[in-house]
Amino acid sequence: MIEPIVLTVNGDTREVGVPSHYTLLETLRYILGLTGSKQGCDKGDCGACTVLLDGAPVLACILPVQEAIGTEITTIEGLAGADGTHPLQEALDLTGAAQCGFCTPGILMSAAALLAENADPSHDEIRSALSGNLCRCTGYTKIYEAVERAARAGQKQSQRAGR
Amino acid sequence: MLRLHPYVYHRPTTLAEALELLREHAGDVMSIAGGTDLVPNMKHKLFTPGHLVALKGVNELHGIEERDGELVIGAAETLTNVATHPLVKELFPALAEAAQAIAHPMIRNQGTIGGNICLDTRCTYYNQSYFWRDALGFCLKKDGDLCHVVKGGTKCVAAHSADTPPILMALGAAIDIASAAGVRSEPLRDFFTADGIWNKKLERDEIVTRVRVPHGEAGSRAVYMKVRERQSVDFPLLGIALALKLNDGAAVDSISLVVAALGAKPRVVGGLEKLAIGRKLAPDVIEEVAQQAYRQCNPLDNLIVEIEWRRAMVPVYVRRAFERILAEPRAVA
Amino acid sequence: MKLEDFRRKQTEGALSEEELRAAVEREFQVIGRRLRRTDGLAKSTGRAVYTDDIALPGMLHAKILRSPHAHARILSIDVTRALELEGVHAVVTGSDMPVAYGIIPWTRDEYPLCIDVARYVGDGVAAVAAIDEDTANAALDLIDVEYEVLPALLDPEEALDHPETPIHEPVKPGGNGNISKHVKLEFGDAAAMLTASDVVVEGEYFFEGTTHTAIEPHCAIGYQDAAGSLTVWSATQVPHYLHRELARVLDLDVARVRVVQPPIGGAFGGKSEPFDLEFCVAKLSMITGRPVKILYTREEVFYAHRGRHPMLMRYATGADRNGRIKAVNAETILDGGAYSSFGLVTTYYSGQLITAPYQMESYRFESTRVYTNKPCCGPKRGHGSVQPRFAIEVQLDKIAEALDIDPIEIRRRNLLGADTRTVNEFRVTSNGFLECLAEAERASEWTNKYRRLPYGRGVGVAGPCYISGTNYPIYPNEMPQSAVQLQVDRSGRVAVFSGASEIGQGSDSMLAYIVAEELGVPLDYVRILSADTDLTPVDLGAYSSRVTFMCGNACIDAARKIKKQVREAVAESWGAKAKQVALAGGWAFDAKDTAQKMPISEAFNLAETRYGTLGATGYYNTPKDIHGEYRGGTIGSSPAYSFTAHVAEVEVDPETGFVEVQKIWIAHDCGRALNPVLVEGQMEGSAYMGFAEAIMEAHVFKETGLHNAPSLLDYKIPTSLDTPEMESLIIESIDPEGPYGAKEAGEGPLHPSIPAIANAIYDAVGVRMDRLPFSPPAVWRAIRDRGAREKAGELAAWKSRAALSAAGD
Repeated sequence: MIEPIVLTVNGDTREVGVPSHYTLLETLRYILGLTGSKQGCDKGDCGACTVLLDGAPVLACILPVQEAIGTEITTIEGLAGADGTHPLQEALDLTGAAQCGFCTPGILMSAAALLAENADPSHDEIRSALSGNLCRCTGYTKIYEAVERAARAGQKQSQRAGR
Repeated sequence: MLRLHPYVYHRPTTLAEALELLREHAGDVMSIAGGTDLVPNMKHKLFTPGHLVALKGVNELHGIEERDGELVIGAAETLTNVATHPLVKELFPALAEAAQAIAHPMIRNQGTIGGNICLDTRCTYYNQSYFWRDALGFCLKKDGDLCHVVKGGTKCVAAHSADTPPILMALGAAIDIASAAGVRSEPLRDFFTADGIWNKKLERDEIVTRVRVPHGEAGSRAVYMKVRERQSVDFPLLGIALALKLNDGAAVDSISLVVAALGAKPRVVGGLEKLAIGRKLAPDVIEEVAQQAYRQCNPLDNLIVEIEWRRAMVPVYVRRAFERILAEPRAVA
Repeated sequence: MKLEDFRRKQTEGALSEEELRAAVEREFQVIGRRLRRTDGLAKSTGRAVYTDDIALPGMLHAKILRSPHAHARILSIDVTRALELEGVHAVVTGSDMPVAYGIIPWTRDEYPLCIDVARYVGDGVAAVAAIDEDTANAALDLIDVEYEVLPALLDPEEALDHPETPIHEPVKPGGNGNISKHVKLEFGDAAAMLTASDVVVEGEYFFEGTTHTAIEPHCAIGYQDAAGSLTVWSATQVPHYLHRELARVLDLDVARVRVVQPPIGGAFGGKSEPFDLEFCVAKLSMITGRPVKILYTREEVFYAHRGRHPMLMRYATGADRNGRIKAVNAETILDGGAYSSFGLVTTYYSGQLITAPYQMESYRFESTRVYTNKPCCGPKRGHGSVQPRFAIEVQLDKIAEALDIDPIEIRRRNLLGADTRTVNEFRVTSNGFLECLAEAERASEWTNKYRRLPYGRGVGVAGPCYISGTNYPIYPNEMPQSAVQLQVDRSGRVAVFSGASEIGQGSDSMLAYIVAEELGVPLDYVRILSADTDLTPVDLGAYSSRVTFMCGNACIDAARKIKKQVREAVAESWGAKAKQVALAGGWAFDAKDTAQKMPISEAFNLAETRYGTLGATGYYNTPKDIHGEYRGGTIGSSPAYSFTAHVAEVEVDPETGFVEVQKIWIAHDCGRALNPVLVEGQMEGSAYMGFAEAIMEAHVFKETGLHNAPSLLDYKIPTSLDTPEMESLIIESIDPEGPYGAKEAGEGPLHPSIPAIANAIYDAVGVRMDRLPFSPPAVWRAIRDRGAREKAGELAAWKSRAALSAAGD
């Protein structure tokens, strides 16, 4: 059964026809063409599909699409503003924290939610925030470095802005 | 990708509507809150209801507040909210810790306390895809009539694998359950049954609406210990909840010890009144309690871990629970 | 735009006069710097297009029906009902593709879909293409397969004992059809040398199977166009071999087959041979005329497997009283699973790859790979040698213990050294192992820790070597192993066409660094087009740590041809000598007078004017005199070997058996770090993966041959909270033949994690963990057993701790 559903993704609100048994991930990837969110485990075990719902990281692969109605959905494609990259994306690039890059979108969404809530997270807070996102390439070391670097960059930015 | 079966997704906003939907589609309907347990299970074709009734949008199921000497938590509150809410952290830090120990951040953002209480039992022969279960020849809990854990067994022994019920039981919590007939209240201790197929006294047209935790008296302390292979993501291999009250003379006034993740029902360790009440928490008392738990707990091969080790860990973690309670008086109710 | 504006745009980001003067003083401008990857931003913005991100017009989705039996004869398959289902476009079975394939040409024993016999739970039997996944799934249920269930052999020793139930037909009549490969080699007289040793340590080790667990599941899309040309997009790390096998199995002209490898979400060896889905999408597209996609479920990834072989290893190591190794005798049984895969090579590797970094006076090994009715094992990162490396390094630790020699010291005493040959006659050139040991020792504060930490805490050391590519291609030929083609635009932009597979290791970036280094263009002037068999010259694939060494050399070869022309053309215009002209930082300039310069694009234009369109090819092939002449002597020989030493520090909870690996110091000789960021990433990722195998991973099966845990919930890979702190210590031995001296970094550093952790557990609590994984129950049991022996007075209390009270309570 195709259901007309209104979704707000990365600031764009639109009505889409979605089979009613689709997850948010299937909707994003196969209906809206937003393929940045990845599918790794099928069922909520790896975190590659992490997106933000009203700022909170959730697993799109086990979220019935209807649960996203009325929320602000942010995917990796919406992390950066029109003015360039998010500090996390820049930091990730500088630190070589994306190898195969497949867990990267999920990692970044978790990290972005952390930084939005806590501009100066400790090492342990970063580890905890990323503990639902499995990475198989890096051993996580460079990812921590990237998040720490982005946090510093974010702080400098706020200082410059006099906040 | 593993696919879901076709269904109609209902999103009621009131409890009455939700109950009416359950009644209307009786036999072909399930309620869904966070979906973190149900959706993977549906992907495995363990449940294939034609209708899903979503509970997160039901107003009556939300809120965390103190009321009449109790902490009242709406069943649709997320585990993140339970783990981080100032009231929970202040009144029942052990409950907050248990919620924080569940799975990982995203699951806690989606999953609810009501869902955790109603979590389906788990078994290595059950939480598998349809293909896998078909290749196995299915099992007692779903689609078959053989138990692969207890050969020849006729009773399902899938494991209760939730983290918040043991500590809620130890704390003497009750839950409110609504149905078309009205609201009933059930002490959580009486809620679970030893039947792994459906291990709760919850009719299919009923909804858990609230969790109520009574305030402990002065001197009450509680702690939850979770044993798991990885420090995140995993369900418990063993869960140990301990609540006790010491009197002014530091002797035990009351004690409650719950061991979970072994069988279908969390085990309330019996006979502790005799062992511990009125005695100070000296190492010999602790050891007697630990051994009592060991005697009463017999894990099965329902999870992927050696049962001899799992059983041996029972007294180890009971001792550690006592150590934590004595070391951190604030780990408490 | 006016010429001046062009010039301004081109030089905005180029080096300043001062920087140019500094550049002249440096050996390298790009190599060795901590630079970005070429694909980093595409990946971190979600714009990189992986295979499952591709949707083609009219694309069908296919699913594969899999055997529910571990071993069964297929009596009949009836697809009538499936074909009748609305939305189904085609169904194929084994008889539609009756040509055997296999990555090793001598052991082709698989079919795209089973013919006659299914050999493990999950073996593919039929495939359906339909309008969507749901319809394809529904159609699978409508395929009627009649099986005759055969006895399933799940244990290799059992399979050896039951030749009357052959999993494959014996190669020779009367042979044992369950033996996949048997290798026996001896160098020197190991038996005699064992007898002559002052100390002999014997041990039995078991390495449990593990799997790659790339986060991206396998995915492939096939499309045969109206003209008959077939394109397959696939998450593969061997496009060239896939290209050949597709053509051969599907009986197509290889020139009309194209394989494209999109960005790939991790591989680790798990995507290094053809799989059923690639043949199925191709065949289904040939039948339907439409693009067809298959995406594995995670469960199917576990069935596809090709992971680490379980190995049972019996080792005897003899040494003199100074700890020098006189003899090693190894007997190994490899559990191969249902098919050969790379098994012929694995069997050799299990013996051939452990003859460095220690000198051995004599060495004998006998390895037997056995078929079992389980998913097929193959190459996982550190192919074939991770398992024996565990055995040999723990053996060495035991010898050190017996002789009361410090474990690092005993490794020094057995140093093989540089520019030498191993006991099995492999040529070894650069060797930084001594420096690796020293760095790991220093950084970890080893001498303050070894045997000095309190009970429950300990440190351990281990050190391996690994190949930088294998000396021969998988199918015999004398053509280059790797090649690169460069094309220069008038703008200064340089395109690199390379067959190499970027699998996350950074091979595209590596090529860009080389081009930027040689031709002086800014990094973002370099475009990499890799792994598309229609467009790129052949590279054999991303396996055996060959890409940096081989493709890097090929790229230097190509770039220097262009560089020569550019320098000559510029020199001519200045009336200078070509060797005076330097290319760096966006300029061509006079190395003796940096004020004399022009934007690099102008230099290219001069060269194009003089020589015609600028382009070049370069290639690399291995030297052929670097191994012994005995049968099998080529397998495992490499143009260069990397060396590593790890120190691991652990804390063991003696009551529970939980092992917390607190830190791993990774000292790795990579020859030269072309970009230290990427090298560290490989070192850390490798050490992490070894740690994971040591502590938690187990690719195991239930009694019926059903996979124990085909999900990322139950097959445990470490989360961020489980992974130890890691410190990378790069050692640069500057290899004489590597590109700028570089060797491999992506596999060697996996090996020592496991024995270093095992040795650290021994230092912590006095128990030898000779079987993997070192799970809490296993460690707990070992500690309990030791406690009982201590109590009985058979052993002294470890590190003077009190004997365990009430063992087993």
